[in-house]
Amino acid sequence: MGRIKALVQKEFRQIRRTKAYFGLIFIAPFVQLIVMGSAITNEVKDIPLVIVDQDRTPSSREIINRFDAVPLFDFRGIADSPVRAERLINRGEVKAALVIPRGFEGEMIRGLMPEVQVLIDGVDGNSAGVSLGYITSMAALIQKGWASGMAGAGGMEIIPRYFYNPGLESKLNFVPGLLGILLFMMTTMLTAINIVREKELGTLEQLMATPPGGVQLIIGKIIPFTVLGLVQFSMGLIAARVVFGIPVAGRLSLLYLMTLLFIMSTLGLGIFISTVTSTQQQAMFVAWFSMIFALLLSGFFVPVRNMPPPVQILTLLNPLRYFMSVLREIYLKGTPLRYLLPEAAAMGGMGLVLITAATLRFHRRLE
Amino acid sequence: MEAKLRDSIVEVRELTKCFGDFTAVDRVSFSVGRGEIFGFLGANGAGKTTTIRMLCGLLAPSGGEGAVAGYDINREYGKIKGRIGYMSQKFSLYNDLTVKENIQFYGGIYGLSPRETEERSAELFGIIGLEDLKDKLTASLPMGWKQRLALCASLIHDPAIIFLDEPTSGVDPLSRRNFWKLIYRLSDMGKTVFVTTHYMDEAEYCHRLSIMKNGRILEMSRPHDLKVKYAVESMQEVFLASLKEQS
Amino acid sequence: MKKSLGAVFRKELIHILRDKQSLFMVLSMPLLMLLLYGYAINLDMRGIEIVVSDRSLSPESRELIRHLEATEFFHVTVAPGGVSDVGDLFRSRKAQCVLEIPPEEGPLLLAIDASDPNSASFIQNYVTRVVSLSAGARAGLFTLEPRIFYNPDMRSAPFFVPGLIALILLLICALLTSIAIVREKETGSMEQLLVSPVKPHQIILGKVLPYTFLGFFDGLVILGAGRLLFRVPVEGSLLLVMAMMLIYVVTGLSLGMLVSTMAGTQAVAMLVTVSLTVLPSMLMSGFIFPVFSMPPVFQLVSRIIPATYFLEIIRGILLKGNSLADLLRPAGTLLGLDALLILLSIRAFRIRLE
Repeated sequence: MGRIKALVQKEFRQIRRTKAYFGLIFIAPFVQLIVMGSAITNEVKDIPLVIVDQDRTPSSREIINRFDAVPLFDFRGIADSPVRAERLINRGEVKAALVIPRGFEGEMIRGLMPEVQVLIDGVDGNSAGVSLGYITSMAALIQKGWASGMAGAGGMEIIPRYFYNPGLESKLNFVPGLLGILLFMMTTMLTAINIVREKELGTLEQLMATPPGGVQLIIGKIIPFTVLGLVQFSMGLIAARVVFGIPVAGRLSLLYLMTLLFIMSTLGLGIFISTVTSTQQQAMFVAWFSMIFALLLSGFFVPVRNMPPPVQILTLLNPLRYFMSVLREIYLKGTPLRYLLPEAAAMGGMGLVLITAATLRFHRRLE
Repeated sequence: MEAKLRDSIVEVRELTKCFGDFTAVDRVSFSVGRGEIFGFLGANGAGKTTTIRMLCGLLAPSGGEGAVAGYDINREYGKIKGRIGYMSQKFSLYNDLTVKENIQFYGGIYGLSPRETEERSAELFGIIGLEDLKDKLTASLPMGWKQRLALCASLIHDPAIIFLDEPTSGVDPLSRRNFWKLIYRLSDMGKTVFVTTHYMDEAEYCHRLSIMKNGRILEMSRPHDLKVKYAVESMQEVFLASLKEQS
Repeated sequence: MKKSLGAVFRKELIHILRDKQSLFMVLSMPLLMLLLYGYAINLDMRGIEIVVSDRSLSPESRELIRHLEATEFFHVTVAPGGVSDVGDLFRSRKAQCVLEIPPEEGPLLLAIDASDPNSASFIQNYVTRVVSLSAGARAGLFTLEPRIFYNPDMRSAPFFVPGLIALILLLICALLTSIAIVREKETGSMEQLLVSPVKPHQIILGKVLPYTFLGFFDGLVILGAGRLLFRVPVEGSLLLVMAMMLIYVVTGLSLGMLVSTMAGTQAVAMLVTVSLTVLPSMLMSGFIFPVFSMPPVFQLVSRIIPATYFLEIIRGILLKGNSLADLLRPAGTLLGLDALLILLSIRAFRIRLE
């Protein structure tokens, strides 16, 4: 016990003495959480749009007014010609344009079904699809308004009810996710680099000539970084509550239990990385490498369900994937432990396997 | 001398270490008595560090057997670690801790209570002369003082034997001299000192000396006996003559 | 003097080539990322678990269920008796939405798990579409004729591959540079170099050039693989792409230099570089999330991220066939950023030397 205490105390002293760490471990993630939590949204809105009105009738003006009025579009005004609209798209100034043809109103009255051209910048395929969807629904809405009074074909009405996030706010989804990402980055990189640094400096060899065994040395690394991780996570929780007004719907104790399991798996990964690399540069590369993959395959950007089956299987190896869904479940839905057992088992199991593997590799003798 | 040998603290037979095809240590046998200053002299790459690492339980031997402080180096290497002090070639304490913090750390590592560490370090600081520097950041110490600090850290748990792997490399002559005075004091206190070096003058200070080359021990005797054997005046000449005779 | 620059360059090149593990990673990482991004990032929803609680049991309701089952989007489970606890169904993640068809005429109730709001709005749109399809489409007053420019099938790969180049170029250049210089400081070999007749700018240049090639090479690999594997078009001039890549590589290098002149240890340098590059370049630059949808204040933040400009440039050239004239603004800004970063890092380097 005394030995582990000495190891832990030493670690904290070193961390405290590296002034930059304070900023890196606490301030940087905090700022990133606040900036990115506020900024990113996968809601496509404020789509820059121009309209070419070649008809100049009350109908075409109504279309313009309707598009101008919805916040989904950032109406940038009337363009003189379709060519002009295309140029604007080409230069990236607008993402979509409508072209209302000459004689639009007249043809409509005569029942000739005139065509309104929709020009869309398809570079971002996803946003393009969403924009087109919006424009289609807007057009349907406008037509419905014009058609009312005419014999209405009875359609089925749908009343949607959104659970857990009635305003469909992106931040409710991304802020908890970011907490997980930041925790993953910090804990994995810091441990990996920390141990390899001791290897490079030779202090590890000195330690290995002393009585503590591999298990004790590893516990001596795990405790301080777990504490740092928990402090960082708690700061994130407070920021989520105070800055974003997102409370935790589920039990806080469950959230911390899961966080602890997650930290075990990320520290395990970090320590394991440190045992298979010999320089800080290598360790950093492997850590960085795993980080980008973990991020991508976590379901943060795209639900895991959307991925092709082989890739979905690959995500099972990713601790962040489990923590990502745990965070969102507990944060927003208040899901109880019994539905999160698979995630808990996966994270805990991964941590155990990685730490054991690292301990075995972390031989008490040099190679 | 005879009595000391019987009461040996290090005893190895046919100790061998291979790295792949390369034999770093080749069937080496020797024993070291309690309180002795035992030197390993040899060029770089002669196998000195590898031997020390095997004795400290840092490396598994490829062959041979032996015991350090009463424990078998093949099976009980974990237990050896608590009974020995080890100071590696490269300075390897924490530069970003203060002198005192480093000592506290090693005290804790060796299982001493904070009070024991306090008492023991006060005693050692007195002998080694680190008292005034104890709140300084280790990084700011000159090399000679860093070596003393490393020595202090490896003595904190009062080991019976201490392994010093080229303790004075990179240290100025005056500091080296002072460091050797310390080694003598330790020997007087009954500690066994196992030291490697490639400084000839230092070799003279050892009670007993072995000269290594290519993983083998060429000579092992008292410095004076070696000079007599080769009929020369200095260790420098002993060293060169022994190498020549070998090849 | 050219010679000493060459010596530093050669030494650094040896470092790179000798560290097989790092080299392997620097070269294979981009390809792996490309494959994963190309295949894994699929923004099309599918396999949504929907529970239909059909309490009308009418021919119309059966018709609707058939329509839902016919799409790839839904995986339908019918609960004839109704659903007692929607919340429990959502918390156990057995369903993402529940459609309730009432026994009599009346509106359908659609409960959606909106913890992922993006999926939620997709689900709502899709159900609405299927329902109106099943009810029989009505003739409208006018039709829409969409024309999708540049990426008519709206595929993800043409969007992500250029973005990946932006990401990897910056990360590799900035990371490698920041470590390379601090490593010399930590091991003390920087001192050795500084007392030699080599000028400081030559040291930096010599260290940085090999990484430039590495980063540049990675960029070309991604471009080539993207073209072969994912049919990413190259509408504009390839020469222009490379020129712009060069400008951008300098951005990464000077950022790394700035960090390394200020950081004391490799660990700090790495962590600073990672904090400055990974998340901002991925999340704030338009790499995935469109900049125009961000709140205006944060759009300003994205304006100080180099990747934002490079993304605009490279997507413009590759997909839209933009010429230099179309890209003067982002290219100019990027050059300005380069100049600023270099100036800052030279200043920082001088200060450290004194």
